[in-house]
Amino acid sequence: MTADLAPARRIIRRGRILTLLGLVGEVGIFVRALMFTPVEATQGLAQKIFYLHVPAAWSALFLGFGLVGVSSALYLWLEDPRLDRFAASSAEVGVAFSCVMLTTGPIWAKPIWGTWWSWDMRLSMTLLLFLLFLGYLSLRSALDDRSERGRYSAVIGVMALVLVPFIHLTVYLFRTLHPQPIVLKPSAPSLPPEMLITLLSGIAVAGVLYLGFVSMRYGIALAREVTEDARHE
Amino acid sequence: MADGTRAALAIAAKDLRLEWRSRSALLSAVVFAALVLVVFNFARDPTAVSTIDLAPSVLWVTFGFAAIVALNRAFTVERQHGALAGLLLAPVPRGSIFVGKYLANLVFVGTVELVTLPLFVLFFNIDLTGSLPGLLLIMLLASVGFVAVGTVFSAMAVRTRFAELMLPVLLLPFMVPPLMAAAQATARLLSGRPLSELAGWLRLLSLYDIAFVTLSILIFPAVVDE
Amino acid sequence: MNELPDNGNYMVAGYVVASIIYLIYTVSLFIRAGRAERGER
Repeated sequence: MTADLAPARRIIRRGRILTLLGLVGEVGIFVRALMFTPVEATQGLAQKIFYLHVPAAWSALFLGFGLVGVSSALYLWLEDPRLDRFAASSAEVGVAFSCVMLTTGPIWAKPIWGTWWSWDMRLSMTLLLFLLFLGYLSLRSALDDRSERGRYSAVIGVMALVLVPFIHLTVYLFRTLHPQPIVLKPSAPSLPPEMLITLLSGIAVAGVLYLGFVSMRYGIALAREVTEDARHE
Repeated sequence: MADGTRAALAIAAKDLRLEWRSRSALLSAVVFAALVLVVFNFARDPTAVSTIDLAPSVLWVTFGFAAIVALNRAFTVERQHGALAGLLLAPVPRGSIFVGKYLANLVFVGTVELVTLPLFVLFFNIDLTGSLPGLLLIMLLASVGFVAVGTVFSAMAVRTRFAELMLPVLLLPFMVPPLMAAAQATARLLSGRPLSELAGWLRLLSLYDIAFVTLSILIFPAVVDE
Repeated sequence: MNELPDNGNYMVAGYVVASIIYLIYTVSLFIRAGRAERGER
């Protein structure tokens, strides 16, 4: 039996377009942030990392990992393989965005707070979830049976979802015990309009990039499964 | 006694009997914990940090690692005897299988902790007068939580080639909240703070327990069902 | 009037690192997509 890769190809093509759109958008963000957004008064040029760091964090946590939790729960309920494929794709994309977040974070922090790492709430939570989902991906690669892989991954996904509020509380309590250096964070509500627009555009572009990445990754997973099934006929 | 409960207790008893017969796993886990304590002692600068400041962290990191070692021991049993597969063929309710394994793991981990505790008191010169009941409560509350998650994860990890590595990688993020709360509560307890100051941490531990024991019971069937 | 802190190097580093990561991941996806579409593993 020959593999019908047409549906997967369609998804991958859509993904390629979205990804390239997202990348072009990122270039636009770079230009806007570096050349057309005012420099922050107290933090200087380094603050501009903010326009990359926050969108990456948003894509990693809410889109990437958050959607893994949701689709894991749905998979346990509905047992639809598409949900499992999506969860795996979203996890990998979440890990990618986390890499951006966890590198730009300390690079931004060092000149502003004087220290590379300070157990800041967002960074700490992202770090823990990053490690958790690396474990998730390594478990998936260690299991060959599709049903087992799907179920076990979903179990971790759901447990991770329940863990998030506890991690949040733990990091919060940890920080109140160990007062951190005064943080010169630009507070979002009082951002001047040019900065706010750059930030929101950055978040939108990161969203498009997420969709592109996830579509491509999903299409790859689908194509591989179809090929594998054909081989077993 | 309901069938389900009877089944759970039977499973727990059988698991523990298997352990007790060889006892090597229990011994290894205890020796491991003792060695971790010793390593911690030599790995620090006694002039820089006072013992009492470091002690709660050392205790809970040790307990955490010992729990992972203890949960790992189930793998060899599983692989050699195919115990889980056999259980699934029998008309045993899935919930009972989890509770049985969970109880066995809890007893095992608890035993390791109880044997390690006197060593901790000895090596780190801890004064336990008045603190022992509180400490035992903390140990119980913390272990109940992460052993539940560990039981679910070890049932999954056993199906992989590097089970002994997979389990800690999956479990450690889940151990962060209970280990932190337990260490904080222990620190306050050992420095003689009143029980009221511990209440918040104990509440956090209890909340974690309720959430994850319930979730583990509900989600375990997804691990064992085809 | 305060002097702006001289941390332009960090800004550059941040943007460069982010670009590299996005590009590496994109390239990895494109390569894997090519292979998957051709029916290889």
